[in-house]
Amino acid sequence: MSKRYVLPGDLIVEGNPHLKPLANVIRIGDRLHATRIGIVEISQNSVKVIPLSGIYVPRVGDLVIGKVIDYSAMAWEVDINSCFLGHLPAQDVFGKEFSPGRDDLTKRFNIGDVIACRILNFDRTRDPLLTVADKDLGKISEGEVVKISPTKVPRLIGKRGSMIQMIEQLTRCRIVVGQNGVLVVTGVNKDAVHVAVKAIRMVEEGAHTVNLTERVKEMLQGVQVGR
Amino acid sequence: MSVKKTTTIVEQLRRAQMSELLAMNKRLDGRGLKDYRELRIETGLIKKANGSALVSLGNTQVIAGIKVEVDEPFPDMPDKGLFICNAEVLPLASPYAEPGPPDEDAIELARVVDRGIRESEMIALDRLVLISGKKVYAVFADVSVLNTDGNLFDATSYAVVAALLTARVPRYDVQDEKLVKSEETIPLPINTIPVSITMAKIGNSIIVDPNAEEEACMDARITMATDEQGRVCAMQKGGSGTFSVDQLNEVASLAISLGSEVRERIRSSVASSTGGGANSIRSMTS
Repeated sequence: MSKRYVLPGDLIVEGNPHLKPLANVIRIGDRLHATRIGIVEISQNSVKVIPLSGIYVPRVGDLVIGKVIDYSAMAWEVDINSCFLGHLPAQDVFGKEFSPGRDDLTKRFNIGDVIACRILNFDRTRDPLLTVADKDLGKISEGEVVKISPTKVPRLIGKRGSMIQMIEQLTRCRIVVGQNGVLVVTGVNKDAVHVAVKAIRMVEEGAHTVNLTERVKEMLQGVQVGR
Repeated sequence: MSVKKTTTIVEQLRRAQMSELLAMNKRLDGRGLKDYRELRIETGLIKKANGSALVSLGNTQVIAGIKVEVDEPFPDMPDKGLFICNAEVLPLASPYAEPGPPDEDAIELARVVDRGIRESEMIALDRLVLISGKKVYAVFADVSVLNTDGNLFDATSYAVVAALLTARVPRYDVQDEKLVKSEETIPLPINTIPVSITMAKIGNSIIVDPNAEEEACMDARITMATDEQGRVCAMQKGGSGTFSVDQLNEVASLAISLGSEVRERIRSSVASSTGGGANSIRSMTS
């Protein structure tokens, strides 16, 4: 099936009541329209648009990597690479007994710290509520921060994590992927991290092309042979 | 520059990585310490202006327009034309820029650019006089910053210089103490091409052309403008850090050597974009 590119507002299908509008598609009367720039994917009973560009819109449950940009007596403000600012309440870290007078927020997270967190609650009317109360969440103290377009994150992860696992195995790096397009790469040495970042950039640039996994694999194996 | 809350905050991890790389004479974006970002200059984009230029320095983008009018000279300088430079950072240029009158950073930007051009005597202001004490040419340079990624000083300076070099102004004839506008246009009288070079100090390293991330981490910055003879003619230092005497000497010689490189770039882009018809240096057609 050939790829069909659409712009916001473009008509995708008309007069088929069995098709359900999924991501980035809306129904107006008996017509389905795209809401973002992207590629149409029509399956047996649903239609969706894979976006080609755009910002990150938080979804409950997403793992995101944020940057602490400010704090008040009660909470931290976290830049989650979105049009919304993440809100991490102090109770989440200090527990119910948190007292603004006794507990110093900067002891845990300071401005500029990179933290892995999860979206706890979000309804578009208020800033997304974050949490770090889970395993593998919290301050990230080492690694290289890489930013990619949030729309390319699914491609980087691949089908059931195939792409990211391949990059991790071949470069012996660990890559924490935030759904907001921020990644942290840690590896055995700087060269390994450098190669992993190169592979990530390759995926980002060629996210919509075919045989990408093969090409990335080739590149990574080529580098390893050369070493 | 004042410490504003709304500036780029660099992740601690990035900061650590930056200082680690600087110790090895490398930078986060792969440049060497003394390397410039890609510089592109396009001129003559605004048809209604007397001269204009669009400059991109990496992701920093600046557009400048020159408007020339006839005005009265300042009372203390009856035999000099006017040159006025204004700069504005558009709200679209950065998430931290707000609409409204130019803030102190934008004012500093305009003043530093103005000073480089004025003190190098790029424009021969004394040749802009039409009727002594009464009528002179007034040259207005208006700059809009379209995108900010650090080093607005240099990008803006190059934009204004390129726009001045390509500007063409209407010729006025004086007849019986009255001005008669002719159809003919003439270039501005240009003495020299000043080039501003901005350097930042992070730790003990001095880097040229800092980007936004580096500007957020720098201890101090210094901008030096040099003229064609390699003379330093204007300087501005910012930030709370300090430069030692040796560092200042290093910075000055960098400004001179890199300045001549950039000067050639400006000269060639101005010449190519106007098909060789750029204002020739030190030759004002009458």
